[in-house]
Amino acid sequence: MLLDFHKLGAWKWLLSGICALMTLFLLMPILFIIALSFGDSRWLIFPPPGWTLKWYEELFADPRWIGAALTSAKIATIVMVLSVALGLLVSLALVRGKFRGRAVLRAFFLTPMVLPVIIVAVALYAAFLRLGLNGTLVGFVIAHLIVALPFSVITISGALETFDPAIEDAAILCGASPWEARFRVTLPAISHGLFSAAIFSFLISWDEVVLAIFMASPGLQTLPVKVWTTLRQDLTPVIAAASTLLVVLTVLLMIVAALIRKGKSR
Amino acid sequence: MSITLAPKRRGSGLGLAMPAILLLLAFFVVPVALLLLRSVTEPEPGLHNYRTLIGSATYAKVFFNTFFVAGVVTLVTVLVAFPVAWALAIMPQRWASVIFAVILLSMWTNLLARTYAWMVLLQQTGLINRSLMALGIIDQPLQLTNNLIGVTIGMVYIMLPFMILPLLGVIRKIDPAILQAAALCGASKGQALFRVLLPLAAPGIASGGLMVFVMSLGYFVTPALLGGTANMMLAEMIAQQVQSLVNWGMGGAAAFILLIVTLGLYAVQLRFFEPKPEVR
Repeated sequence: MLLDFHKLGAWKWLLSGICALMTLFLLMPILFIIALSFGDSRWLIFPPPGWTLKWYEELFADPRWIGAALTSAKIATIVMVLSVALGLLVSLALVRGKFRGRAVLRAFFLTPMVLPVIIVAVALYAAFLRLGLNGTLVGFVIAHLIVALPFSVITISGALETFDPAIEDAAILCGASPWEARFRVTLPAISHGLFSAAIFSFLISWDEVVLAIFMASPGLQTLPVKVWTTLRQDLTPVIAAASTLLVVLTVLLMIVAALIRKGKSR
Repeated sequence: MSITLAPKRRGSGLGLAMPAILLLLAFFVVPVALLLLRSVTEPEPGLHNYRTLIGSATYAKVFFNTFFVAGVVTLVTVLVAFPVAWALAIMPQRWASVIFAVILLSMWTNLLARTYAWMVLLQQTGLINRSLMALGIIDQPLQLTNNLIGVTIGMVYIMLPFMILPLLGVIRKIDPAILQAAALCGASKGQALFRVLLPLAAPGIASGGLMVFVMSLGYFVTPALLGGTANMMLAEMIAQQVQSLVNWGMGGAAAFILLIVTLGLYAVQLRFFEPKPEVR
């Protein structure tokens, strides 16, 4: 009764109403910034008196925004590659390994996801001050890799668990070397997991704020750091323009991820 | 049937994980341990950092803000997420997938973009205040940013998906026949809700709620931007101690307390609510 939508009676409308309100609540801020980025009021009056593209022009004319976006893209790409590579190795060890304490090791690899990121940020900040890695590309990559790796491990080991190792064994019995079997049989079979892990890792690094604030120097900052420092000064519509572009990117990546999932279930 | 002829693999596989283990040891375990160590060694050995943290009214307010906001956020999130997850589990697929897409979109939209939206919406001359004034509900703009109200709204917005998604999983697994049985036995809708559906969903509510509470405790960005300096929360205080005051001892001590509370609650979660591993 309560789990049959059409037999809920009046409750059906109550539940639908709450759902609609919540959807509106979740959607409104996102639509709001998109509208704001095309509005011509510097003081963010809404609805805006007129429409303009000048915030986008301002954004693209400022080399600091472009530089920050390029830095973000560079860091996120390196993090993505390393996170998938390390995640694959760890997943092979966790899913196929024959040693004791695999459950403990798995928990160990997931801890950076559980701890508040501020603790990781402050601890790495202290360590990097000593090692001279603050404000360097290497510093950013290491910091983001630490928090991206757990997601990579979860996604790839999930894919690996559904793949029967007997198929790999069969390839070896048919004459493939163990590494050949891994590369030509197992990897293609879990490619959807690898792609999802890559997208997750890229997005985590691309969007990451807290670690980045601590790693950044005036000479090297990512896009979220640039948004953060600008936000602390004023709420200029240029941020709305930058945010809108970020939303577009997110939607594109979500569509890619959905297509991968569909391809897998086909 | 297992293949008995399976070729022998060399080694146990632990070696494959070595690069990642070394990475985490060098850049996660050791730095965090050193940070915590500094809480009892700086500026001089002893527990005085912890004494200051527990003894002073300023820090008491930070702890109160942190736990209060995390509690309210968890409560509101649960109250909204339960009916939503319930409806999502049973409504026609077409509508459910639209709402689901909106949830994922808001979850994956850049955190700063979402927080920026709320800073603009909630400010004195923002859309919310102006709408409320136009409707004649208020005459004076409400102070909605730079205080805990703003932080709570912004955090509820961020945490909702983390509550809806696990709850949806739990409610989907409940057998509708159980509720039919309740109806056949004469239970009213209210009785079926409070004595059958809610108890069956309780593990999901508790586990999702605990997760939201833990995440809220250590949150940095939204409180820093929507709360203002007068309403500091724990994560912000750690950052301030380290970055502005260069007081590593106090920063380390506050980090240690946050770490213990987080890991403690996480252990409760694992111990009592961990669902069977569902990876497939």
